[in-house]
Amino acid sequence: MSGLKKLLSLVSAAAITVSAFAVNVSALETYDPYSYDRWGDAVASQAGYTAEKYIDGEMIGCGNFYEPADLFISHDNLMYIADRGNNRIVITDLDFNFIKEMTEFRYNGETLTLKGPTGVYVDQYTGNIYICDTDNDRVLKCDTEGNVDRMFTKPENELYDQSLTYKPSKVLVDKAGNVYIVVKSVNKGAVMFNSEGEFLGFYGANRVEQTAEVLANAFWNLISTEEQRSRSAKQTPIGFTNFDIDDDGFIFTVTDSQEVNTDLVKKLNPRGDNILDSLGAADMQFGDNPPAYYSIYSKNSSLTDIDLGPNGELNILDFEHGRIFQYDKECWLLFIMGGKGYQLGLFQSAAAIESHDNHIYVLDSRKNNITIFTRTVFGEIVTEAANLYNDGLYEESLEPWQNVLKYDGNYRRAYIGIGNALYNKYQYKDAMKYFKISISRDRYNRAFEGYRDEWLKENYMKCIVVIVILVVLIIVYKQLRKRRKIVYPWEKNRKAGV
Amino acid sequence: MLDLTRGQFVKHVIMHPFEGFEDLRWKKAGSMRIAIVVVCLLFIQQIAYERLYGFQYYSDYDKMFNIVPYIFKSFILFGTWVVANWAMCTLFDGEGSMKNIFINSAYALIPYVAAYLIGTVMSHFLIKDEYVFIQAVEIIGLCWTFVLLISGIKAVHQFSLGKTLALMLLTLVAMIAMLFLLVLLLTLFQQVLIFIFSIYTELSYRIRV
Repeated sequence: MSGLKKLLSLVSAAAITVSAFAVNVSALETYDPYSYDRWGDAVASQAGYTAEKYIDGEMIGCGNFYEPADLFISHDNLMYIADRGNNRIVITDLDFNFIKEMTEFRYNGETLTLKGPTGVYVDQYTGNIYICDTDNDRVLKCDTEGNVDRMFTKPENELYDQSLTYKPSKVLVDKAGNVYIVVKSVNKGAVMFNSEGEFLGFYGANRVEQTAEVLANAFWNLISTEEQRSRSAKQTPIGFTNFDIDDDGFIFTVTDSQEVNTDLVKKLNPRGDNILDSLGAADMQFGDNPPAYYSIYSKNSSLTDIDLGPNGELNILDFEHGRIFQYDKECWLLFIMGGKGYQLGLFQSAAAIESHDNHIYVLDSRKNNITIFTRTVFGEIVTEAANLYNDGLYEESLEPWQNVLKYDGNYRRAYIGIGNALYNKYQYKDAMKYFKISISRDRYNRAFEGYRDEWLKENYMKCIVVIVILVVLIIVYKQLRKRRKIVYPWEKNRKAGV
Repeated sequence: MLDLTRGQFVKHVIMHPFEGFEDLRWKKAGSMRIAIVVVCLLFIQQIAYERLYGFQYYSDYDKMFNIVPYIFKSFILFGTWVVANWAMCTLFDGEGSMKNIFINSAYALIPYVAAYLIGTVMSHFLIKDEYVFIQAVEIIGLCWTFVLLISGIKAVHQFSLGKTLALMLLTLVAMIAMLFLLVLLLTLFQQVLIFIFSIYTELSYRIRV
């Protein structure tokens, strides 16, 4: 008896130790981490990132922020915060030590001040700072000392409708020095200037969503006169809200509309074409699948900012639900974090997102602080596995995916990853099992084909023998029936000779 | 001639689409028991088609299982077909009794049920590229059943071909009307039940106070 007791206590002690190692990270979060399954239903998941702490202006030592609007981390690891309400740009390092603030700028001998800056960008090739001085209707290009080199003001060009306002809200610069500016009143795409400040045109407009109304209008336009057409309302696309550029020069845009589903997230090549289209953008879902199971709202997401992580991850910020959606470079959902609220990790008015290494920084313009998310152990494993998988190293990704399943048995992609690894190792039967769990029918079909071929190759002779025996048996049976050697009992009282 | 048992008649009818049902009628060899078994098999086939198909083919949301749609697709649909056909044939001076319509329709269904069951089994051995074989089997079964159904209805009422087709079309219309009335009836009953239940709740509160 005591031996049994000892054994029991040993086992339970071991269980406690094991469970202490496999820390359930989600218990520390202020929200329920979730993910989506094959059917788009929300399922509980582990947290890939955990909200570590928040930083406000007081803690940095520059006085409180007032409705800050944008956040940018430069290539030399400095953080730029566009503090809209205080009309300044605050610069800190990544440990949030205050470096300086920019309020006054010199331009041809005069002193310029900012008025409601909502966007900041640092060109990694030249080190120039670009600031959207929104309420002054201009974008400033200056060096780190605040000497303005050039201003990008409203283009006086017939392409730009002069009745539109010019309130630049976000800015970025490509390798060639072309400047792209998101202007709220423009829906034809970003306003584009070359490095000399010449207006080049518009870049990367969204498309109009194909609704029944649009089709009906297209029909009426066919039969209406020129005059009628000029009076009818135009179908216009919705301009994108924010963007980011990766090292290869692709520009990613997000659109915060909750009414349309077309072109909410785009990856634009330098010509302005959305190359996610060729990757099957129609099947991709960004933001919350309505209705989100874990949300008290059933509103559509409002994607307000996008950031590219070090491995090409897309971090997308949802203003409506205060959530961050992280996708890998193939646009597979990795993690969902955040929510609406006052606690750490929840947001009131999420404004901007940036990432660096294994941290994600989110700026809240109503809480006036920056929340720092750090990748958890689970997040590290998933990221490693996803990176290996995306590089085509399926077999190397086998072990990390198996580790992922130890943390979260709901993680569908892990099953697909393991299945693919096994498939590449010609272990078709096991691959079939994993593809079945992950409900990926096309992959299952391929694995099944391999399994069947293998089975046929092994059992070729047996099959032939079985078929021959069956054929012989059938022939013998038919002959016996014909000669009435086999008579079933219910046929016995039939008249003979019929 | 044709001294077959009832079981053997099933085979005869299916293999002879044009005179099989006439022979059946002449010999009065239709079996209600076999017909009921066929309808039950239809029910099983409907479930098997959606739930037991090879994993690589189907793509339905299979987290939940609700048996009501399958009951509807087999028993209720078949039942309304028989009743509607019988109701319509009286307008056309058809000779069929409800029992004979039931038996003939059920016999006609056998190729369909068999083909789809065979297709379900085949789906476990074939990959997606070979779906055309399953499809061929299923289409043959469907066409066969259609021919048998025309022949069966024609024989049971002793109609010409044109009249049979007209009757079948009218039967479909009648089925829709019947199902509509059925749904209406169910909703009304639901309303009545809710009404009774709310009176009960009201009274029980009054009594407690």
